[in-house]
Amino acid sequence: MAELATDEILAARERYNQSIAIAVNKKRSLWFPYLVLALLLVLPALQLIGNFNYVIHLTLFTACYVVMASGWNILGGFTGYISLGHNVFFAIGGYFAGMIFARLDISTIIIAPLAGLVAAVIGYCIGLVTLRVRGPSFIISSLALVMIFRIVFENWEFIGGAAGLALPVNDLPVQWAKLPYYYAFIVMAAIAVWVSYKIKHSKFGLGLRAISKDEIKAESSGINTRLYKVLAFAVSAFFVGMAGAVWGEYLTYIRPNIFLIILISVNMVLMCVLGGKGTIAGPVIGAILIIAFNELFVATLGASEINVLATGLIMMLTLIFFPLGIVGTLAKHGKLPQFLNWD
Amino acid sequence: MSKLLEATGVVAGYGDGPAILNGADLSVHPGKVHCIIGPNGAGKSTLLKAIVGMLKVREGDVRYKGESLKGLRPDQILRKGICFVPQERALFPKMTVRENLRMGGYSITDDSYLNNRIGEIEEQFPILKERHSQHAGTLSGGQQQILSMARTMILKPEIVMLDEPSLGLAPKIVREVFEVMQIMAKEGITIILVEQNALMGLKYSDWGVVLDLGRSLFDGPAQEILEDPRIQELYLGGRKDKP
Amino acid sequence: MTLLIQTLILGIALGGVYALMGSGLSLIFGVMRIVNLAHPSLIMIGAYVAYWPFRLSNIEPMFMLPVAAIILACIGAILYRLVFEREARSAKYSEMTVLLTFALAMVVEGMLGTAFTNTQRITSPDYATEAFFLADIFIPKGQLYASIISIIIISALALFLKYSRLGYAIRATTENREAAELLGVNVNRVGLISFAIGLALAGAAGALVSFIFSFFPSKHWEWIVILMSLVVLGGMGSILGTVIGAFLLSAVAALVGTYFGATWSTLTFFIALFVVLLVRPQGLFGEKPELA
Ligand SMILES: Nc1ncnc2c1ncn2[C@@H]1O[C@H](COP(=O)(O)OP(=O)(O)O)[C@@H](O)[C@H]1O
Ligand SMILES: [Mg+2]
Repeated sequence: MAELATDEILAARERYNQSIAIAVNKKRSLWFPYLVLALLLVLPALQLIGNFNYVIHLTLFTACYVVMASGWNILGGFTGYISLGHNVFFAIGGYFAGMIFARLDISTIIIAPLAGLVAAVIGYCIGLVTLRVRGPSFIISSLALVMIFRIVFENWEFIGGAAGLALPVNDLPVQWAKLPYYYAFIVMAAIAVWVSYKIKHSKFGLGLRAISKDEIKAESSGINTRLYKVLAFAVSAFFVGMAGAVWGEYLTYIRPNIFLIILISVNMVLMCVLGGKGTIAGPVIGAILIIAFNELFVATLGASEINVLATGLIMMLTLIFFPLGIVGTLAKHGKLPQFLNWD
Repeated sequence: MSKLLEATGVVAGYGDGPAILNGADLSVHPGKVHCIIGPNGAGKSTLLKAIVGMLKVREGDVRYKGESLKGLRPDQILRKGICFVPQERALFPKMTVRENLRMGGYSITDDSYLNNRIGEIEEQFPILKERHSQHAGTLSGGQQQILSMARTMILKPEIVMLDEPSLGLAPKIVREVFEVMQIMAKEGITIILVEQNALMGLKYSDWGVVLDLGRSLFDGPAQEILEDPRIQELYLGGRKDKP
Repeated sequence: MTLLIQTLILGIALGGVYALMGSGLSLIFGVMRIVNLAHPSLIMIGAYVAYWPFRLSNIEPMFMLPVAAIILACIGAILYRLVFEREARSAKYSEMTVLLTFALAMVVEGMLGTAFTNTQRITSPDYATEAFFLADIFIPKGQLYASIISIIIISALALFLKYSRLGYAIRATTENREAAELLGVNVNRVGLISFAIGLALAGAAGALVSFIFSFFPSKHWEWIVILMSLVVLGGMGSILGTVIGAFLLSAVAALVGTYFGATWSTLTFFIALFVVLLVRPQGLFGEKPELA
């Protein structure tokens, strides 16, 4: 038996407790996202040398999902509340801005922040109610929410019911027609990523992550978990709502079965899960990969049923083999390339 | 002295998490009452869980009557004669007292033998007979503890491991629980007891083990441990800044 | 008055089918703590198993009920081994399994959609369009038969759980998995068996559903919320609760449908789910929330 020296044991106990705490990788690099942003801002110059409308469209589409997935990540990734109903805020943003655009002819790009705010306020109110339950209960309540909204939107004549509304088409030449939306989404995506970063490194973000780890402990250590959760919900609804606002005008119509289909929610969740929930780069990487996958499947196989199948399969495989997502898994094994570490 | 159960250099933890035990040893002598003491979070419960197969033994070995228990499932280890009563007591609150006893004998497939055993246990612990059709969740804390201990006896096990049986009970009830433990010991069951109240636990035991920092720091006859000034200082409340 | 009674009868006649659809979900949750969002999509498989033989060679859908149950039980056993067994050690078990079943639902939907397209289907044996008449009131034969069969299956399940040795093990695992394991129950095997039984119930329900509701692959999203509402109302994991929840909600939905219009009838389930989760997450009969 070992010698028993009291102070030594107390010191050893200290060391032992520390060794149990997991070390965090603090090295990150921020030049890469700035570089990407700069490249994206000059990308439309391609239109001068040929027709790159498809490239523009795909980039814009990806950026739209970066906004939504980054927004979702604030609630689902940081706070650990998985919402399968965030497309509700996509619809709220889309309809709010779309209706104003249709009636008052104010571009949705200008209305977008306001639409986001409306989504945030509604999100705040919904969060006050649904965030009282945790885990599976919360997930299921979010699904119920989508169903309720779908029925309401489809039966509300003022906003066009199930047929929806057509929105005016802008009168720019085809070559430049997409650009306003393109820049709107790129800027929103940059803001969403930047805000996620800021939140993650704030006291608020620390509180959210504490909630995700152990809500009861977080509460007993003096965090106002209720307020934090609901605020996280509102912020995430804000981004999703903003994306929805511009998306409607870009498509030139708003209809329940564009905004309120489950695939939209799934994509947000899947992008975060695949890229790495709770990381900053995760939703971005996830969005790029999933959009690329979708395009590939639609282009090669055509049928949307196969797309559903593939999406589900990717999600299952990711959950089973890389539950931490790409960024999380690489980081855990210390193999995350520095340019992907934006945390 | 020959050893009934011997754990050597056990390394174990939860899931993919860090190792909570890093090299814990335990020697169990047949027919004796052993008491494991140590501060909160030392890994006492973790050691018991590793022995019964609820946690994977990452390194080291657990040998019982000369054969290794590593890699066996809890139900297989139970059939070898090792019962575990966890800290949370592990009753089925919405099943009756008798259904709980019946679950205690789940691994017995002979129905009439099982019914006999249930009868015998109910004779031995009249309170269980009295309350046989009551839901286990409605028993008092002490009664629940007695039920969960008595339940293990149905199988006539070789070893029973009790994790903090006195937790949350009034001093008078604690004595009753320890008396039940003595009844079990008298029937020849080897007992491994984990106790926060180290003084009390050691008084009822033959052998003591000190577990701290995920390792076994000391073991010896209970009396010796009680009298060792260093252990008194560290673990028996002799020193005020003890965590 | 006749309208009221008629409505209630129609609602109750559907209740049995809902109960069977929900009971598998409840069983799997009880034992495994898995909220199986893929349950309705698997019911859909059962519906197709009954649909095609009828469509192609006029085989009675009720004959296909045991076939559907067995096929789904096998699928359940395979899924359990491949997917859910390994999750038991995951730290975020409940969150992981919900996401997994969600993804699984999409996989099933995609497969069915690819194979059979999103066309609406319904099996139409003669009794599906006939009814018994009691004075002014009619009882559709299809719904009545389906409900009776459902109740028989659920009763058999309840007896099995109450009296068999395996039933003891399943109940014990439902109440306290760790304790059951320590008493010699091979909880992993119990998990496998319950998962298979749960899906067999889905298969059986599917065969009945095939001649009651028209179905197409993506319809399961609507069903999941309907099923969750009655299972949550009755208290997750309690089969009896599920049955009561099913009859209650089905009757209320029928009333809403009659007096406010069919659209709002489905909304009843959704709003009920929402309200129950938030006001009384433990359900009508539970003491403490199971779904935390
Ligand atoms: N289920 C669990 N998952 C992860 N860590 C755990 C779990 N249970 C206990 N631990 C950790 O293991 C360590 C030892 O715990 P335990 O064995 O229960 O201590 P003791 O029983 O000696 O008080 C503690 O640091 C505790 O935080
Ligand atoms: Mg302990």
